[in-house]
Amino acid sequence: MFKVTFKFESGEDVTTFAQENENLLEVARKVNVAIDAPCGGNASCGKCKVKILEGNIDSPKTRHISDEEYNGGWRLACVSKVTGDVAVQVPDIASAYRSRMKVADLSSKEEIKIFENAKNDIEAAGIALTNSMGILDIEMNVPTLDDTMPDNERFIRAIKKKTGAARVRLPFQVLNKIARIFRESAFQVRCVIRTSANKDDIFVYDVYPKDAEVVIGGLAVDIGTTTVSALLINMETGKIIGKASAGNGQIRYGADVINRIIESMKPEGSKKLQDAVIKETINPMIEQMCRASGFNPDHIYRMCVAGNTTMNHLLTGMEGDPIRMEPYIPTFYKTNSLFASDIGIRINRDAHIIIAPNIGSYVGGDITAGVLVSMLWNRPEFSLFIDLGTNGELVFGNSDFMMSCACSAGPAFEGGDISCGMRATDGAIEACTIDKETMEPSYRVIGEEGQKPIGLCGSGIIDVIAELFRTGIINPKGKFIREGKRIRHDRYGMGSYVLAFEEEAGSVKDVEINEVDIDNFIRAKGAIFSAIRTMLASLDFDVEMIDDVYVAGGIGSGINMRNAVRIGMFPDIPLEKFHYIGNSSLSGAYTMLLSREAERKCYDLASNMTYLELSAVPTYMDEFVACCFIPHTDTSLFPSCTQE
Amino acid sequence: MPFNQKPQKFNASINTVEIGCGDKAIKLGGECTFPFYTFDAPMENAPKIGVEVSDLGIASNIPGIQKFYEGASTIGEIAKKAETMEGADFVCLRLEGGDPNGVNKSIDELIEVVKEVAEAVTCPLVVEGCKNVEKDTELLPKVAEVLQGKNALVMSAREENYKAVGAAAGLAYNQKVGAESAVDINLAKQLNVVMTQLGVKAQDIVMNVGSAAVGYGFEYVVSTMDRIKGAALSQNDNMLQMPIITAVADEAWSVKEAMATEEDMPEWGPLEERGISMEVQTAAAVLASGSDAVILKHPQSVATISKMIKELM
Repeated sequence: MFKVTFKFESGEDVTTFAQENENLLEVARKVNVAIDAPCGGNASCGKCKVKILEGNIDSPKTRHISDEEYNGGWRLACVSKVTGDVAVQVPDIASAYRSRMKVADLSSKEEIKIFENAKNDIEAAGIALTNSMGILDIEMNVPTLDDTMPDNERFIRAIKKKTGAARVRLPFQVLNKIARIFRESAFQVRCVIRTSANKDDIFVYDVYPKDAEVVIGGLAVDIGTTTVSALLINMETGKIIGKASAGNGQIRYGADVINRIIESMKPEGSKKLQDAVIKETINPMIEQMCRASGFNPDHIYRMCVAGNTTMNHLLTGMEGDPIRMEPYIPTFYKTNSLFASDIGIRINRDAHIIIAPNIGSYVGGDITAGVLVSMLWNRPEFSLFIDLGTNGELVFGNSDFMMSCACSAGPAFEGGDISCGMRATDGAIEACTIDKETMEPSYRVIGEEGQKPIGLCGSGIIDVIAELFRTGIINPKGKFIREGKRIRHDRYGMGSYVLAFEEEAGSVKDVEINEVDIDNFIRAKGAIFSAIRTMLASLDFDVEMIDDVYVAGGIGSGINMRNAVRIGMFPDIPLEKFHYIGNSSLSGAYTMLLSREAERKCYDLASNMTYLELSAVPTYMDEFVACCFIPHTDTSLFPSCTQE
Repeated sequence: MPFNQKPQKFNASINTVEIGCGDKAIKLGGECTFPFYTFDAPMENAPKIGVEVSDLGIASNIPGIQKFYEGASTIGEIAKKAETMEGADFVCLRLEGGDPNGVNKSIDELIEVVKEVAEAVTCPLVVEGCKNVEKDTELLPKVAEVLQGKNALVMSAREENYKAVGAAAGLAYNQKVGAESAVDINLAKQLNVVMTQLGVKAQDIVMNVGSAAVGYGFEYVVSTMDRIKGAALSQNDNMLQMPIITAVADEAWSVKEAMATEEDMPEWGPLEERGISMEVQTAAAVLASGSDAVILKHPQSVATISKMIKELM
């Protein structure tokens, strides 16, 4: 056994023991040290770099590590074998993950505007903003020697009398505390109840003394493959009490759903993945939100989850393999039988967890929830809804019909598969322009004033590629055709453009984009655009017929639609038709929590949506290759895109 | 009711590309109809046939080929002989010996071969590289240089090396450039776009959109060529109006039907007949799908295809 120490830039460290020849990335995973490994440890992404501080490890040099870096002690964790005591430094990009949990400051209207809008839109569509949860004041006769009815019966009778319900259920948790509360408040109590749609059945979640101030807490959660975000709300008023986001703890088991499913099929795997998302991600978020707002987590009585089909399955600890294998059948599209205590979510143990319904193995509840708030279903005009994530999902339709499809865009939009790619956090270049004459860039970096660039996030990559193309630095294939100070070629002739030289950058190396990155991104945008074209063609529609395009997803509000069209990712239609609607999955979950009717509507939408399997469309591949060009092989589709 | 023929004539046409000089120069393309639809409009130029020779000499074990080249020992003599083959319009020199994974001849050696062949023949010359991208990137520009004034077709510029090959052959030394892609209409078009953006004239490009021997995924080849001609003629897509040349010999003679000996496969019959059959069928099919030129190897194939073209014109 050898001692392995992981040191973070924050000064913390984690020490563990490993067998000889054990894989360093595996060792890190065992002790929950997050090393970014979007490719799942296949030595293909080059993201899991660590630096040797003491000792040595057996690690070959890969193409991701320059001579300079190798001499400086940098190694890829996924190809490293432990051969003795060693201490390695885990770079900040990885420790950034752990600390990336963010509780939003709700004092600015910006943070909650999008949810207010969603709520108003839903209400305007004639959907009542009422839900099944309520507060009931109950007065009972104080028991005497002549009135010896037990507490629970007394309580149930009083509720029945007041509401006319035929059935009242008291869970053990409530039963366990009524004796004390009844006597403390002279048999006058308030309770949190859920009433069934026909008013016949009442479930009592909690009992409070008469004068207690009661807030019915609700939790809306969007579980993304990369990021998890949550809202803590008051279910009576719709007020947002807390908002938080964090990286999905499952990331260390692979960047995409397929790798996670594979990981989940290993012994204890589904438990590990479930723990990663619940114990390490959702529960800490609940804790932090509650602490920030002084809310008791036990007072959260209902939760709504929107996530893709795989995320829903991994959350509930169910087997994901059938989703991955032909004929791609998930365990459930929707379920009504999930409670917080079933999966260990740290809220009221009787809280019901509702899940936005899935439509297919690769179109999940995040999309149905998103479509719900995009209001696509409520208009006669044709709209296109696009969720840009690791998987690109599209929905096209109007009040009469809806069609959905999913395409694999890969992790490029979130910075994966791009040498200097990163998610939209501090240090990411989110917007960029390039001067045609001097070829000098100017960019905007996420973070505080003076933050130096570390890498590129999705919206930044779109901008850089669009600008490189506009200024004629790259050709439509993404190959470099101009020379200059910022353009370099490696010994294999591969070109790259340097956005920030080492001295301008906030990291130890240059921020640059190379031909392989551009190629990866062109494929990602090609997947999106070819999916749009193929889906419209299957309906015999043309892009001209799209009235509105709703872009959702974590690519960032910084997305420049003009540039997204310029590189051929979105159809060349007037820019005012594009709307960025942010995290529509979360706002969908929020409205489902607030309104019983909205929840129904969402189930309704899911069952009315037609799913188009792109891989079964023979022309899709052709369309895809035609799209792997800037802007497109058929330039007549992009009349407004010109090179200067 | 009497039959009323409605000619399907297009307002667009395939570019005409001339290769070679003098009396023997040939014109590829120029048609404004689908292949051999002479009932719609006359075909401007008949499809052309090239004879493949290799810098490695007569490596073939096929008696018909050995017999044809009997007495020719140097590459110049072989090429001279090839030129006289009945039905041949041009000679195609393949520099396969340059392959680093094969004989790995030096570039100087190969250039000597090119010079010798260029001096020996009077017909138009097509030169193909060794298929190794790195080697071709260095080799083909030199080939273009040494063939100055011959108006040769240099094959092939690919996505990886179109800049070097295209710039040398198409811009610096006034040759014609072959643009090679792998059986995909979009990839073919994309290469033409970037090549013309480099400055190579569309009229100087001949496409080699790739092929397969019949029976080996050949439907992709048919579909690709068919759609290229469709887009070029009916949609007037000028990035797909380059004539198509197809190297048939290499594909047809390297499948098991054309390689397994008669001892191994007695029930299949004589090897030579099978090879010719593969070559003829493949050539006929690519011509019917839209090729403007084919490159063949066996004298009998050349004669057969030449006869077919004459009768269909």
